Amino acid sequence: MKKWIPIATGLATGLLAATVFFADFSPGDRNEAIAESSKNKTNAEKVYVPFGEKDEYYLFASGGHSGQMFIYGVPSMRHIRTVPVFSPDSATGYGFDKHSKEMMGGFTWGDLHHPAFSETNGDYDGKYMFATDVGNSRAAVMNLETFTVKDIIDVPNTSGPHCAAFVTENTEYMFLPTRFAVPIGREYAPLDDYSEKYRGVMSAVTFDEKKEKLNIAYQVALPPWSYDLSDAGKKVSKDWAVMTTYNTEEATTNLEINASQADRDFIVLFNWKELEQMVKDGKYDEVTGQKMIFPEKHKGGMYLVPVAKSPHGVDVTPDGKHFIASGKLAPSMTVFSFEKAFKAIENKEFAGERNGIPIIKYESVMEKEVNPENALGPLHTQFDEQGMAYTTMFISSEIVKWDPKTGETLDRVPVQYSPGHSVAAEGDTVAPDGKYLIALNKIAKDSYLSVGPSHPESMQLIDLRGDKMEVIQSAPVNPEPHYAQMIKADKIKTITVYPKDEKNPDAVYSQEETRIERKGNEVHVYGIAMRSKFIFDAKAERPDQIEVKKGDKVFIHLTNIDFDQDITHGFAINGYDLNIEVQPGQTNTVEFTADKAGTFPIYCTNFCSALHQEMTGYFLVKP
Amino acid sequence: MAGKKLSILSSGLIAGAAVLIGSSLFFPWWGMEFFAPQYPEGLNIIVYPDKLEGEIDIVNGLNHYIGMKGFSEENFPELTYLKYLIGGLALLTLITAVLRRKKVLYFLIGLFSIGGLLGVWDLRRWLHDFGTDLSPTAPIKVDPFVPPIIGENTLANFITNSYLGTGSFLVLAAFILILIPLWKDR
Ligand SMILES: [Cu+2]
Repeated sequence: MKKWIPIATGLATGLLAATVFFADFSPGDRNEAIAESSKNKTNAEKVYVPFGEKDEYYLFASGGHSGQMFIYGVPSMRHIRTVPVFSPDSATGYGFDKHSKEMMGGFTWGDLHHPAFSETNGDYDGKYMFATDVGNSRAAVMNLETFTVKDIIDVPNTSGPHCAAFVTENTEYMFLPTRFAVPIGREYAPLDDYSEKYRGVMSAVTFDEKKEKLNIAYQVALPPWSYDLSDAGKKVSKDWAVMTTYNTEEATTNLEINASQADRDFIVLFNWKELEQMVKDGKYDEVTGQKMIFPEKHKGGMYLVPVAKSPHGVDVTPDGKHFIASGKLAPSMTVFSFEKAFKAIENKEFAGERNGIPIIKYESVMEKEVNPENALGPLHTQFDEQGMAYTTMFISSEIVKWDPKTGETLDRVPVQYSPGHSVAAEGDTVAPDGKYLIALNKIAKDSYLSVGPSHPESMQLIDLRGDKMEVIQSAPVNPEPHYAQMIKADKIKTITVYPKDEKNPDAVYSQEETRIERKGNEVHVYGIAMRSKFIFDAKAERPDQIEVKKGDKVFIHLTNIDFDQDITHGFAINGYDLNIEVQPGQTNTVEFTADKAGTFPIYCTNFCSALHQEMTGYFLVKP
Repeated sequence: MAGKKLSILSSGLIAGAAVLIGSSLFFPWWGMEFFAPQYPEGLNIIVYPDKLEGEIDIVNGLNHYIGMKGFSEENFPELTYLKYLIGGLALLTLITAVLRRKKVLYFLIGLFSIGGLLGVWDLRRWLHDFGTDLSPTAPIKVDPFVPPIIGENTLANFITNSYLGTGSFLVLAAFILILIPLWKDR
């Protein structure tokens, strides 16, 4: 009787301890029950993402001349965020704080074309997004942990990098070619000297991931033509890249007519490894501070491939073996073979040269011409997981699905209207997902509630999973959905709060450390924002006021000490044209001269709490 | 003589209790979880014998609206010496196991009980202090309140849940273990 008591109690105690240590009380996988039965779903169900669930893909759509990048979820097509890149944005304070203002370099707008993800082994790695500015010839990089722009550079000599950015298989380079030929250094030269003095410079831009800085490695002084679209090779063609060019007529006026005369224009085929080696070997000239390869002087690595006139798109197939180009005024797409091109180069099957660059014979590299009946204005091609091609037809307003191997037309679907580009899920990688394609339409008349003479543009989601392509959703969008990239959502790993950076001399992480330091006519404020107040100097009688003298140079370093998801604060000075943002944990700086005397209220612009309205202070400027 | 000496089994149980007490130092003893519509994932205050863990800054940030003092390790002097008290108790328990003397065991049980009660009293004192000594200038006025040591409490938009941590369970288990010899060797 006595003996079982300690044994039982011991067991019970052990059990108690074991339960505390090892028991798993976490709930089961609630997604288990969600199965795919897309065939029986209506279109509405196919795009419906219930609250609490998230989209399968991120869509990064270029914002064209808004200078911004639009982020959507696919398949819901819900607009999630606008990320300012080349244009100031008061919603996020972009272009007002020190870092973004410096990056803007005095420009107030940009024309964002062709976003491109960083890649590892030809697949999106979800780390960075690159973009270029046709309006002011710049390149930018966005960090995908925070969806903020980290660096913007001016790209001299390259004017209007329209077909950029396209990145090589391991993000070694992104190339920025010129759309508008200009003299080197943009110096004055009469248009009569166009063929001699003008150039279509292409820039090879590198990205230093550690420093998050863009750089120009070298440039190539291509002939004074317009370079339109481009793509980097993959796998067997990974050292190569292709881009289309028009106005090989070198017309200088009324291009609509004068650049549409020649029956054939070119694809520029180049080996960037070879160009890289040429630069290493000193085969370049130093021009405007850049290492520039002049094809007529430094031979090698570059070839021209004749293509149907005024081409737009050129896209490399996922296996890297072919590239497909289409003349935007011609009815057909042409499949070219990299292997054939390599052989032709080896055997020197050239039909002369232009500006020192050998022209490969069309017949030596062309594999087939594909001409779906009445399909007009082929612009741009994307691919699915089986390597099938989807080409946008600008003039006949449709997407044509076809087999690059046989040239057979497989399916066609009308879109409303005039698609420029399209984007398939990871459709320009070595491993496209299939599933979805989005047509980026230029014209949306009749489609949505009217907003006056200027209509929105539109994007249409096409389901690729069934036997027939099907448009399952249409969304009006801001100008201009020029090009987009679609990435699997789980590849992107965002952070929710900026980690403390104890080494940042501008950061203050506690109220007691806040202070205002004066050095001559400089005023340095080390302040904090927290729910729901500003503290600029904890020891002052009024910790939320900043007083300076007219003409003082003011530096406000503001740290958001709410290390709490989604608690962003803003900082605006009423009447002073200033507004910045501090995200959770972030330290941001605004720098300006107090050139107006007077009384200027300070307030938090980003709604943060029930007492957000009270989150204010005063900026006093003594005359 | 034999009647006064604890059996080998009892000595083993007490030694086991010493190990449990010692290991409790590495586990949280008490915690409080806060839920609100905006915080469905919950915010935590987790109390170890020598430190605080969890989303303390966020909880403090929110608590300042009702004028509650901020939680911080500096505010709780106990955290600097509690681990020595617990370590000492583990050592005493081990000594009891080695000595195998009933008298020492009675003393240990007495000490254990008093220590435990003091601990509970201290925790309640703090809860009372934080819940009732609210700043009179706080933007949101709430009635003074005392959260329970174990169980649910509702305050404004927050539902709080106080619970014992692994460390407390280990010590409870240790207490059961040192009580067993009272039966066994009676
Ligand atoms: Cu705020």
